[in-house]
Amino acid sequence: MSDSMILLLAKGAWETIVMTFVSGFFGFLIGLPTGVLLYLTRKGQVLEHRTFNNVISVVVNIFRSIPFIILIVWMIPFTRALVGTSIGVEAAIVPLSIGAAPFIARLIENSLIEVPGGLVEAARAMGATPFQIVYKVLLPEALPSIINSASVTLITLVGYSAMGGAVGAGGLGQIGYQYGYVGYDVLVMNTVLILLIALVFIIQFLGDFIAKRVDHR
Amino acid sequence: MIELRNITKKFYQKTKAITALSDVSLTVPEGKIFGVIGASGAGKSTLIRCVNLLEKPTSGEVIVDGQNLMELSSKELAKARRHIGMIFQHFNLLSSRTVFENVAFSLELDHTPKAEIQQRVSDLLSLVGLDEKHHDYPVNLSGGQKQRVAIARTLASNPKVLLCDEATSALDPATTKSILALLKDINKRLNITILLITHEMDVVKDICDEVAVISEGQLIEQGAVSEIFSHPKTALAKEFIASSLNLEIPVDYKERLVAEPATDKRPLLKLEFTGQSVDDPVLSEVARLFQIDSNVISARMDYAGGVKFGVMLIEVFGTQENSLQAIEFYKNKNIKVEVLGYV
Repeated sequence: MSDSMILLLAKGAWETIVMTFVSGFFGFLIGLPTGVLLYLTRKGQVLEHRTFNNVISVVVNIFRSIPFIILIVWMIPFTRALVGTSIGVEAAIVPLSIGAAPFIARLIENSLIEVPGGLVEAARAMGATPFQIVYKVLLPEALPSIINSASVTLITLVGYSAMGGAVGAGGLGQIGYQYGYVGYDVLVMNTVLILLIALVFIIQFLGDFIAKRVDHR
Repeated sequence: MIELRNITKKFYQKTKAITALSDVSLTVPEGKIFGVIGASGAGKSTLIRCVNLLEKPTSGEVIVDGQNLMELSSKELAKARRHIGMIFQHFNLLSSRTVFENVAFSLELDHTPKAEIQQRVSDLLSLVGLDEKHHDYPVNLSGGQKQRVAIARTLASNPKVLLCDEATSALDPATTKSILALLKDINKRLNITILLITHEMDVVKDICDEVAVISEGQLIEQGAVSEIFSHPKTALAKEFIASSLNLEIPVDYKERLVAEPATDKRPLLKLEFTGQSVDDPVLSEVARLFQIDSNVISARMDYAGGVKFGVMLIEVFGTQENSLQAIEFYKNKNIKVEVLGYV
């Protein structure tokens, strides 16, 4: 493999890492509060609100049902307005974040449901406000499970970003698509695959490691 | 200190309304320990949750420390709740926090300065006897230790009232005793009024001053513990008392037990003493009057409110005629006699 090819693969790997983690970050920025709201407005919870819960729930479901490859194309006007272009890493981050957010919201909601109801009751009995219940009880108690959700999300994003490569997102996906699918260069294609697999393994390993560290149950 | 006036609580399931509490009124005077006893599903959990409005009563008034909680805004209610402690059957400690941090929780809610938290938490942990456990996580504690942490946590905000929701039901008998002793100590030392719910009469007998019996959402009987124990009026109260005085026939007696009298067999009697029973030395009287010897196999007697009550299993040695006369004699003294069989 030529030096220029190695350099290209290194750049691609870096772009994939950036896309995964930056969109993961923005995905959480939107998904975490949404997930918390989904939980708090559920039946029997501190801020029970049926209509509100139904509305967010429907929006989340709509965004989750759009296939990612279509979401990228569908969002092009919005992406252009936001970052000025529709190709490259920055452009890919927009649909990746939007694609991940509803997924994260559901994962967060499920993590919070697992927190024993007695803990919330005890906090209420001690005079905690809903906000205090969220950041002093629910989120810390659900943390191990939230970290697991984060690794699931990041791994999904690795896959999504590779998919995005087919429509100009850059990263390992694009290299794999161009040299593998178009040019059928077996060596490059397999190297891309190995790099992607390594990335997934590292994320899973780190996720498990951190989750274990914060788990005192 | 705690006053519930005509509390009714209904739950709505689709179109059906379920009445969990109907017209419940009770008063817990300052510094007293008040127990509510009932079977599961009787409404006692709902009752205790109505005191700090974790469950909002459908109608009625809840007055704690002179404040009508039903009239408060949610913000004022949160504030009022800081003076109403509560402990739970399953402890409800935060698994993500150490023992120290768990106790600090309620102080953090009030934005107490760090140095003050440090001091107060240390004091509380020594009060409940957990000096060595500051940095342990709840998962590494025994049930009794967890409940001690929960007690320390709830005492942190200086409550005037403590609600105990089946606080000892998940603990073994020895641990139950020690937690009850701690509650009694807190009640005496800090003058904290305690309302507890339980399904165990032993808990009531050990620490309560007053007791109410709840059944199907209604308080069917209430009064001083000695009064209820000596003169229970309802069948349910009698049942709870009996359950705390339950006696099993020893296994080898059980094996020899037959229903019909036989020449080589002696009657096995169960004598039940209640508040109405005449307080006489009956066993020796029977021995003298009817030439009957009694062998006490097992007995559980208690003394409350100036009366003796309890149960006793005795094996009777004497002629059949004399035995029948003895049974008649016991009955005349208002002692409940049951012939369990012949051994």
